[in-house]
Amino acid sequence: MEKHIKLLLLIFLFSIFIIGCKKEENKEFTDTPVIESYLEPGNFLMLNVTRQIPFSSNVVYASDDINNLVINTTYNNSLHLLSSLGDGTYVDSSTRVSEGVNYNLTFTYNSKNVSAYTYIPSKPQNMTLSSTTITIERMDTTSGPPTGTMPDPIEITWSNSDASYYLVLVENIETTLDPIRDFGDKEPPGNRFRKSPTNSASEEIRAMDFQYYGTHRIILFHVLPDYAALYNQNSTSSQNLTNPSTSIVNGYGIFTGLNSDTLFVEVKE
Amino acid sequence: MANKMLLCFVKSSSFFILIIILILYSETVSAQQKEYTFNNQGNVCYMNFVCFAQNLEYSSIKRPFVFILGKQGETAKETYLKDTIKNLPAFYNYMFVYIPNQGGNARGKLYCLSSLAGLLTYNFKYGRSNLFLTIKDSLITQPDINELALNTIFKTIKLFEPKNNNLSQLPNNNLVDDFKENVVAYDLVTQKNDTEFGNYYIEEDSTDNKDNSTEKPHKTWLGPPSAFNYTLTGIVRDKSSGEALPFATVLVKGTNIGASTNTDGYFTLLKVPTDTNTLIVQYIGYDKTEIFLSPQSSKKNLIVEIRPSIQNLKTVTIVGQKENVMLVNKTDVSLIKMTPKKLEQLPNIGERDILRSFQLMPGISASNESSSGLYVRGGTPDQNLVLYDGFTVYHVDHLYGFFSAFNSNALKDVQLYKGGFESKFGGRLSSVTEITGKTGNQKKFNAGADISLLSFNAFVEIPVGSKFSSVIAFRRSYKGPIYNKIFKTFNKNSSTSSPKGMGSGGRQMQNTTITSYFYDLNGKFTYCPSSKDILSLSIFNGTDKLDNSSSMSAPSFGASNSNFNMSSTDLTKYGNIGSSLKWSRKWNDKIYGNSILSYSNYFSDRNRSQERSMTNESGETTTTNNGVFENNDLKDFSFKTDYQWDLFNFSQLQFGGFGTYFDINYSYAQNDTSTVLDRLNNAILGGVYLQNKIKLFNDKVLFLPGIRASYFETTKKMYYEPRASISYNITKKLTLKGSTGKYYQFSNRVTREDIMSGSKDFWLLSDGKTVPVSSAIHYIIGLSYETVNCLFSAEAYYKKINNLTEYSLRFNPSPMGVSYNENFFNGYGYSRGIEFLAQKKSGKFNGWVSYTIGEACNHFDIYSDSYYPANQDVTHEFKVVSLYQYKRWDFSATWIFATGRPYTAPSGAYSITLLDGTTQDFFTVTSKNGLRLPDYHRCDISANYKLLAGSKGDKKRREIGYVGFSIFNLYNRKNIWYKQYTIEDGEILETNINYLGITPNLTLSFKLR
Repeated sequence: MEKHIKLLLLIFLFSIFIIGCKKEENKEFTDTPVIESYLEPGNFLMLNVTRQIPFSSNVVYASDDINNLVINTTYNNSLHLLSSLGDGTYVDSSTRVSEGVNYNLTFTYNSKNVSAYTYIPSKPQNMTLSSTTITIERMDTTSGPPTGTMPDPIEITWSNSDASYYLVLVENIETTLDPIRDFGDKEPPGNRFRKSPTNSASEEIRAMDFQYYGTHRIILFHVLPDYAALYNQNSTSSQNLTNPSTSIVNGYGIFTGLNSDTLFVEVKE
Repeated sequence: MANKMLLCFVKSSSFFILIIILILYSETVSAQQKEYTFNNQGNVCYMNFVCFAQNLEYSSIKRPFVFILGKQGETAKETYLKDTIKNLPAFYNYMFVYIPNQGGNARGKLYCLSSLAGLLTYNFKYGRSNLFLTIKDSLITQPDINELALNTIFKTIKLFEPKNNNLSQLPNNNLVDDFKENVVAYDLVTQKNDTEFGNYYIEEDSTDNKDNSTEKPHKTWLGPPSAFNYTLTGIVRDKSSGEALPFATVLVKGTNIGASTNTDGYFTLLKVPTDTNTLIVQYIGYDKTEIFLSPQSSKKNLIVEIRPSIQNLKTVTIVGQKENVMLVNKTDVSLIKMTPKKLEQLPNIGERDILRSFQLMPGISASNESSSGLYVRGGTPDQNLVLYDGFTVYHVDHLYGFFSAFNSNALKDVQLYKGGFESKFGGRLSSVTEITGKTGNQKKFNAGADISLLSFNAFVEIPVGSKFSSVIAFRRSYKGPIYNKIFKTFNKNSSTSSPKGMGSGGRQMQNTTITSYFYDLNGKFTYCPSSKDILSLSIFNGTDKLDNSSSMSAPSFGASNSNFNMSSTDLTKYGNIGSSLKWSRKWNDKIYGNSILSYSNYFSDRNRSQERSMTNESGETTTTNNGVFENNDLKDFSFKTDYQWDLFNFSQLQFGGFGTYFDINYSYAQNDTSTVLDRLNNAILGGVYLQNKIKLFNDKVLFLPGIRASYFETTKKMYYEPRASISYNITKKLTLKGSTGKYYQFSNRVTREDIMSGSKDFWLLSDGKTVPVSSAIHYIIGLSYETVNCLFSAEAYYKKINNLTEYSLRFNPSPMGVSYNENFFNGYGYSRGIEFLAQKKSGKFNGWVSYTIGEACNHFDIYSDSYYPANQDVTHEFKVVSLYQYKRWDFSATWIFATGRPYTAPSGAYSITLLDGTTQDFFTVTSKNGLRLPDYHRCDISANYKLLAGSKGDKKRREIGYVGFSIFNLYNRKNIWYKQYTIEDGEILETNINYLGITPNLTLSFKLR
């Protein structure tokens, strides 16, 4: 009996030796860099590197200096070192970004190799507007609900044979903003608004989308799916914690190429 | 002359008593035999004789006596030592009396025999038919026997014949059968007495603590056996209800021959030494019963009826059957067995619960209050196959998992294989829970009802004739205090449903109507058209509806003729419907088979959304629906057959075939327009298995090799699963065992990772690509040591698992495209650990202590480049269960300690400036399962008081129910279930969702019998 108990004890002691997970050290926070970079033809390749904001107060950051990283890009089979501009901003001023080129990015942060890649999509083709002017009646809440009919929306069309992503951005370019309706106590809206990314070949801008009279710039961006994903998941609700789709390894943020075309619309009273 | 002497003995009682005293005084106790002296020195009949009884019972005279007179000049001791027949199993109940060979002639040698025989049998109190005489002295002949008229005393006399050097039997035709030895040993005719039905409680005498409660069966056949090495088949049933008892142990006393009953209660014993042997029948929660065989008892379809334990805590509710003293059981690896009969003795939250009770055993995690499904040895509940009367139950939770879907009133037997299970079972990676439903009282109508603070529970058992029996049990929750408490625990966060931005002056109306409930219905109908066939139809339906919806309406934002309506729906409805039709047939003594046709459906509908409808001035209504819509529907149509064929007494072949058609659908939508995931899979899985239970080396070793082969339609591949288990009885008390095997799983419950509000899971059928067929390899080794009262066991396991699947929207595998169907991630993992159990099995105070050290690690490339702790990983788990019985009270207490589970939490945030100049916030998380919740611990206590029928003075009173009081989480420990995170204005709020705090419960239980 005693012998068997000893045996069990022995097994127990043995077990303590063999158990012991190769578990990672529990970390409340991992210092992973956040990259933000939009590569547009004609511009220099610019990049902003930041740290995440931790929820916990007592976190340990990596020793890397955010302004002194060695960041390389590779495109057209040549390697380029980015120069720091301070505040985590880096630039490759050797060549301007051009359409159809693949860009790769690498650097080391927190002892990990951070990398990303993207390419520059084609400029939007055959962009047209159904109308270059739109007439909207000035609305005054003091004089009751508006009468008359709403003007037809402006339809923007373009070629999209491969169902790639496009994004429409509308910007009022007047120096002084002339509101269409009375905003009351509310904060007046900005001079820009956008539509959700789409992979169709058209987009509608309804009259009620416009907030101000004057000339508007309609920018049609040809974007990559990873940029579109930022919008797809922008309802980071309590349902899930979703990190946007990204080409970045060991990092967060966005490193994406885009290309655009611009037309103008006049909003009249 | 001899008769005269005999008379003399009898009449002079003082002399008789003196002799008895003398015999007692001169008794010499040795290892087994007893030596006595007959008469005083100088008496003509002075001698030293030896008695031997195999059953060591020297006081009983109601038994056959064999007198043996040794060879010329031998003393009684010498004759005793030379005799070889005394240890034959056939003579188990006999008394051997060895007479010294003394005296000059034959007459002198035989002279005192009749007086000694008269004395030892109290003057032939039970007649003379059971006295046998063997004479080994070749000088004694038939005329000597006749002269002393010994053939009127002894039924048979064997004389030594020098010719063939053998004993010849002298027939005796003059005797009347005055011993009544033809009385059937085993009482086959059940007394039709009402008091025979039901469980009894024997009032304990406070002054006398002797166990006088159990009526022991008597041996009534004392004659010689008529059959040797024969095959005995039979059925083990509950004496009070006639319910067949599955997996009971039947052993031939004094031998290693034994068998377990099958699911229908049948057993086959090959090579029973004689038909006067004794059987020992054991079943958890029932008295250990000895059945005395006789030539009159049936050799085929012997009906063995055993009683539930009267002294409640004589046997403990749960017993590690593997450690049972009995050979046939102690050989099973990692098997735990339980009968729901005594379940009320353990503390509970509101319902007696089989699956909760299993969680008190080592290797099964007890810190998951929100899952009745079992986490066995680092496995997940979906890796545990739950078979209920042959059909698979896919979801075992009621009310967020606090209760299992199984109504203990409808259950008869549960077995849990913690790992290394046999080839008979398949399709799961980790473990098997086999549940057998009650067939219902076959003798009398029975009904009962329980009411607790949670639910109402009722059952009826209706027998029709002798061939049909049925049981129907129904349980439904009501909105009692416990239900509300649990419901609130889970809905705390959604109870504040007043949305922001509504402050524009309109009057708000909020209506919350909560209609939540669960119910389950069990029905079983059994028909036995012949003694060889059983047909049974089993139906199960368990459904939960959890509704926490509310609606709200507000007249406008300013304009008077527009209307705004918002209704928030939070509706979860899930459940199981299953049914099986089973036909069992005993083809002959050696072949038993059953076929099962079954259907099982698991459905889960979750709608957590907000519907906003706005009616504008012109009467146009626009409706938007936002939220989560989740639907999972699993259908399983199966057919299977299982056969067992007792080839030899050391080998049983088990084989069978199975086929299942799976139809599993899952859809997940985040609002009414965007479906994230929509999968429809169906496939056929079919195959065969073969296994052989072999006993080797004088039954010291039990070896069970087997193979299972399956064909899965989707992958168009064959899957082979070789398995084997072995056990070796080093000594009678010490057993070493091990098992290994390969396991495949074709339908999996995939975890959908949700860091913010707790992960959920859903059933999917493997598609061979994104959700591959998962597999596991088990290695188990164990040691158990068992005495009559105690049990110590240790078992170590290692389980390697491949092709695990998780679903997470946290990552997008291809940055150049968004496809949610690609968000399935595959990985692999392992779990290993050691379990210890020390159990005190008997006495008024009993219980067990168990400790498990283990780990479960996963490796998914997407989460980490090294192993990380799996969601169910628990390092230490310690459990104490103690039970105490005092008169009509049963007290119990349990304490559980477990290391906290790992979790993943949001760790930080970052923002990105979009092209339109706005910024978008994103959140980052810690390394996968990098954090751990605080340790879990909890104490529960309970007290039950038995309700008895009959008046107080009665010694034997029928138990008709009990009043139970229990407290769950006695010291109100705030154990964390999970952490919930909400993001408000870029800040993250952490909320601990706790498990239940202190919860008292009261149960009233009644039954007819």
